[in-house]
Amino acid sequence: MKRYKFKGLFISSSLAVALLAGCGGGDNDDTNANADTGNNADNNAGAENTGNNDAGEENEAEASDSDAETTIRVAWWGGQERHDMTIEAIELFEEEHPDISVEPEYTSWDGYWERLSTQAAGSNLPDVINMDNSRLMEYNSRDLIVDLQPMIDEGLINMDDVEDVYQEINVDEDGKVMAISLGANALGIIENEDLLEEHGIELEPGYTYEEMMDAMHQIQDATDEEFFGFDFANAEFEMFFVYARQHGQSVFNEAGDGLGYEDEVLVDFFDMVQSMVNEDIAASHDIMMDYIDGGDSMLGEGSAALGMAASNQIIGAQQTTDMQLGLNVMPSVDGGQDGNWIRPSMSFSISENSEEQEAAATFIDFFTNNLEANEILQADRGVPVSSTVREHLADQVDGAIAETFEYLELVENYTSPADPLSPPGEAEVRGSFQRVVEALKYDQVTPEEAAEQFRQESESMLQ
Amino acid sequence: MAKSHEETADPSIYVPSQDEDMLKKQKKKEWKETLVGYAIISPWLLGFFLLILGPILASLYLSFTDYDLLSTPNWVGFDNYINILTSDPRFVQSLTVTLIFVFISTPLKLIFALGLAMLFNTGRKATGFFTTIYYIPSIIGGSVAIAVVWRQLFGRNGAINDILNSLGLSGLNWIGNPDTALSVLIILIVWQFGSPMIIFLAGLRQIPGELYEAASVDGANKVQTFIKITLPMLTPVIFFNLIMQTIGGFMIFTQAYLITQGGPMDSTLFYALYLYEMAFEYLRMGYASALAWILLVIIALITIIIFKTSSKWVFYESEGGR
Repeated sequence: MKRYKFKGLFISSSLAVALLAGCGGGDNDDTNANADTGNNADNNAGAENTGNNDAGEENEAEASDSDAETTIRVAWWGGQERHDMTIEAIELFEEEHPDISVEPEYTSWDGYWERLSTQAAGSNLPDVINMDNSRLMEYNSRDLIVDLQPMIDEGLINMDDVEDVYQEINVDEDGKVMAISLGANALGIIENEDLLEEHGIELEPGYTYEEMMDAMHQIQDATDEEFFGFDFANAEFEMFFVYARQHGQSVFNEAGDGLGYEDEVLVDFFDMVQSMVNEDIAASHDIMMDYIDGGDSMLGEGSAALGMAASNQIIGAQQTTDMQLGLNVMPSVDGGQDGNWIRPSMSFSISENSEEQEAAATFIDFFTNNLEANEILQADRGVPVSSTVREHLADQVDGAIAETFEYLELVENYTSPADPLSPPGEAEVRGSFQRVVEALKYDQVTPEEAAEQFRQESESMLQ
Repeated sequence: MAKSHEETADPSIYVPSQDEDMLKKQKKKEWKETLVGYAIISPWLLGFFLLILGPILASLYLSFTDYDLLSTPNWVGFDNYINILTSDPRFVQSLTVTLIFVFISTPLKLIFALGLAMLFNTGRKATGFFTTIYYIPSIIGGSVAIAVVWRQLFGRNGAINDILNSLGLSGLNWIGNPDTALSVLIILIVWQFGSPMIIFLAGLRQIPGELYEAASVDGANKVQTFIKITLPMLTPVIFFNLIMQTIGGFMIFTQAYLITQGGPMDSTLFYALYLYEMAFEYLRMGYASALAWILLVIIALITIIIFKTSSKWVFYESEGGR
């Protein structure tokens, strides 16, 4: 009996110890792996150059194992198409750099930022992070991403073929290079060209919001089929960005601690959105969300003639339909200014906690300059920023991809210098804007009330 | 057993009296048993302290900070609590939505569960089979697949609208309409009545048959037996189910997150959804932690109220029908 008890004690406590060891063991493995690879002399240099002390400290502690393979984690968001293409490009990278292996971490846009912020809280960010312009300041202001300038100076990331215009937005006020653009795009309108042609409508660039609405009325009056008109595609906030700029104002103020437009402009914009929905020339909110949630496209189906989009989205949209889609510039304001801007909206950053910053930089260089990789990637993240890659691809691509190349040349005539990057907290402000727009489309508030509510909410968020 | 051990024969200078000796041994034995007990549950204890108690205390601390997940938290005192309780319309909205949801879905679910349990308690053939069938939604109901199916069913071009159209009625976008979105989620939750049903079934089988026999001798009809015998005898089980389902109701998240994301117009913004949005989308972890603690207090209050009222309506046979 007594022996029995001790046996019990022994078993259970060893279980407990094993459990502890299990947890601890995992951690050890992790740090070892990182430290091992960090020991690689080359990597070390990269890490120190970027001022990351963690990697240096780790190196002192671990045993020598200089042949170990370097592993970097790369995170991005996207749809299945993009995942497939990116993974193929990664395989090519691993072939060319046998000493580096890449662990992909990919999700859809939903959940991507939740995942990243949780990883950031645990100092466990992937080495290479796919950034979006709207979040760049959020991450930069918390020093979660490193300055890439030293790596550019060192030649790790070759930016010789990249025009300044594509990188301007990624440099903060202290000259820190926060990210490297993955491709240029611009906001635009996707048209269903078959539908427009059928109704004899042609919207020449420079057309106004009124002409756009008239065109929608014209189709709505003529057609017997289900027709929603204009598809806001849940991008009313982006649309207002352009609209405010066309009125010589901007959504956020220069300092990024408040709003930079006069309420009149927003009231006009809200009035337009509300009346478009009420006059049946824009999809109502529930229909719009129904399509988005279901992964369907009104434009592809022919139940919408025009829709908001970022130019690179036409590549995905065209794949869902046999109808001919095309890109057009956004409507203009009579007597207004050019409101659009070419925006490399997606970019790659390297996280501060990365211990493989040199390998990460090599990876970014590969994405930026490798011709074969960019052939695989099909300009899905935007028109390549390297002129060499762009020229190389221009001869090969056709259809929707060629359309994005042409569009960026066209839209250049309708752009003005980009606003500064959105301040931290943009996500919350955007959420507030969308809620207000929702209420507006359901006719629950007037444009004046909506503008007032948005100002109140967002100003308290930005403080 | 302890008394007859060899060690007691140990010749030492101080020979304790047998009583004292026994007491000592008894204590030692008890202590050893306690130790063995703790050792056996130590994996659980570790888990409890590291994975449950730790985070709970951390969230209490964070609720007094401006923690944003990305940088170090700063102490802000009661600011979060004050903001939530005085100037957060979405807190009020989320609490209202959640309370409406709980007060509608819980009774409905219990009624369904009880009704079916009574049906399955008749002992007819194949009731076991049907019990299993009706339990299945409880197992799969929280899954992503079911949420997607639900969206398809109640979507604009979903099956429900197809049926309505074929009946000559015009359908509507159930999920996209602020007036109906909440009902769609309530139906989904009520549909998962499996586990209270099983518990009711067990409760029904506990009711002594002679009560019913006596009632039938007295000429009581079905309704009377139900009201006078079944319900009172079942009140402890109803009480248990009520508590469990109410608490569960407050914590609804997955289905709403997948089907409506809180929309349209915050009409399905459940408390847990709002909390999640604040914490992980808007990076206000400190604020969200405060929200979590307020929810805890609310759930505790409502549970206490249910407990307090229970003495009025819960019938325990063992207490002589008090």
